[in-house]
Amino acid sequence: MFVRLALILVLMLFQITPSRAHAILVESHPAVGGNVAGDVQMRLRYNSRIDRKRSRLTLTGEDQSVTVLPILSDGTDDVLMARLTLRPGHYTLRWQVLAVDGHITRGDVPFTVTGN
Amino acid sequence: MNLFIDLFGYLSIIVHGLTIVSQSMAVGGVLFLIFLAGPLAGQIGLAGPRVMEDTTRVTAWAALGLIGCEAATVAMQAAILVGTVDLSLADALGATSALSGIVKIGCGAVIAVALWGRGTGAPRALLLAACAVELVAATLTTHAAARLDDQKILLLAALLHQLGAAIWIGGIPAFVMCLARVNDGRAWATIGTRFGRMSQIGVGCIVVSAAIMTWFYVGAPDAIYGTAYGVMVAAKAAMFAALLLLGFGNARVSARLRADPMAPVARMKRFAEVEIGVGFALFFAAASLTSVPPSVDLTIDRVSWHEVVERNTPVWPRLSSPDHDALALPALQAQLDAEAEAHKARPMPAFIPGAGQLPARNAADIAWSEYNHHWAGIFVVLIGLLALASQAGLRSARHWPLAFLGLAVFLFLRSDPEVWPMGTIGLLESLRDIEVLQHRFFVLLTVVFAVFEWRVRAGGWTNRRAALVFPLLTAIGGAALLTHSHAIANVKEALLIELTHTPLALAGIAAGWSRWLELRLDGRAGRVAGWVWPWCFVFIGFLLLIYREA
Repeated sequence: MFVRLALILVLMLFQITPSRAHAILVESHPAVGGNVAGDVQMRLRYNSRIDRKRSRLTLTGEDQSVTVLPILSDGTDDVLMARLTLRPGHYTLRWQVLAVDGHITRGDVPFTVTGN
Repeated sequence: MNLFIDLFGYLSIIVHGLTIVSQSMAVGGVLFLIFLAGPLAGQIGLAGPRVMEDTTRVTAWAALGLIGCEAATVAMQAAILVGTVDLSLADALGATSALSGIVKIGCGAVIAVALWGRGTGAPRALLLAACAVELVAATLTTHAAARLDDQKILLLAALLHQLGAAIWIGGIPAFVMCLARVNDGRAWATIGTRFGRMSQIGVGCIVVSAAIMTWFYVGAPDAIYGTAYGVMVAAKAAMFAALLLLGFGNARVSARLRADPMAPVARMKRFAEVEIGVGFALFFAAASLTSVPPSVDLTIDRVSWHEVVERNTPVWPRLSSPDHDALALPALQAQLDAEAEAHKARPMPAFIPGAGQLPARNAADIAWSEYNHHWAGIFVVLIGLLALASQAGLRSARHWPLAFLGLAVFLFLRSDPEVWPMGTIGLLESLRDIEVLQHRFFVLLTVVFAVFEWRVRAGGWTNRRAALVFPLLTAIGGAALLTHSHAIANVKEALLIELTHTPLALAGIAAGWSRWLELRLDGRAGRVAGWVWPWCFVFIGFLLLIYREA
């Protein structure tokens, strides 16, 4: 009984180990907290090869509306790109990527559109 | 599904740790069967066939475990992709990592079916081929698979690393079972010597591959203390050194047995048990390492040596707490509530567990956390000193495990002030936040091992297995702490905290396994181990007392 209880606790305990970001954003355009003009060419570069088809970019506007951005097929294996025209305001680009080794990570790039 | 991504991410690391354990045991078991149990069966007397049967059985179970772990990994990844990227299940399963997982499931099935179906006569070539494919598929889910540069050599190093771990650590459970089956010194010497040679090959694979990966992934000496990846590599190296010491001890026992078949063998058996525990902790550290970016990729936000020294210079403990209302989240929530009331709207929550945003944090939060760590340190120093007094013969000090219950209550109330019972976030809802989940389970763990140890020492529980719960859970708690992280946006601050938690974790692992040896070993070695673990607690308490976040 004691060993069984211990094993159950082991399993429960090991369900709580944290993860940290694996694929990290090396550079981005717009930069985090940066300002851009209304015609935005978004480019996110990571430290790993990314599975583009299984990754996602969304844009949250000031009114909290969320838009899924089509990911362009351009660029190298470590880059995600999208292009769109935005009105002036504050936005948050949320990325979620599947690295080729199977780790899913996500993060935010807040930025401001100043005008055309 | 978005609120569960972090939780699934954490779970995937746990399952990955279990996958490494089961993969190593399955591959290690096959190699043990083919290169030790089979060839030596005729030299170790009547125990020979039973050793082969034991090895076959444990390897088949490990292969089944591998199938389960891989299936869980593929299922979790597919669920997240289907739920968040709007992919079909077929598209989700088309990812390279998912395909690798499916191949690994197939390899596990081949090993399990061959061993269950044909027993000790399972075709050796088939087993070896399944192990080889398994290791190659597993290599495709390592850091190396996603690297942009030097990919070939890193893939080769990752393959060699896993092979070495399987030969050595993965073979130890079969080795322990084998030692238990045999009853004469000459046979023990034969088995110990052969497994020693296999282990040397495994260690060679690990050392060579680790050197390559350290060169390419860590890059520079300052990255060892300056990045999370480097710190974890250092912790793995420390555990590896402990394993080498234990292995060296076993080699000496084997040498003594060759000279004198009547020499005692208990130390070899017990050291091998501890090797399993430390080895598995190392596997979970490895699983956690796969989720951290390599040091070479983290070119900014590194911690300098000066910052490490400055942060760890002892100052007087903080023994008074800031007010709960001064903390960032309660203050923010109060502001949001006031704004909502002014607009007659529903208040927005200041923090949504699992939403992927880091909670707000101010100076009062830092003071709150330091206060918690410092009082926890007082509890743990007290526990260590009472345990030492108990070891020295002071009978009334045997109730020291009760101090752990006090610590558990303290942590339950204070570790997460934004959560029930102190905060507004409900208990179940808060468990989507991994840091909260960790704290709650640490509390549960503390209560359980405190109750078990107290009943063993003061309540007259004579069951020897009950006494093993405390060391086992202490060692596991230490291993889990190795991967404990704090949700702080500042990468440098998070790493400085991690740097203080790593020695705590290693001391916890040392405490657990030295208590284990005290219980399992007779004579001088057991007595020495009995003095080691209370000092480990004193050391842990001291580290908590000097803990700082600013």
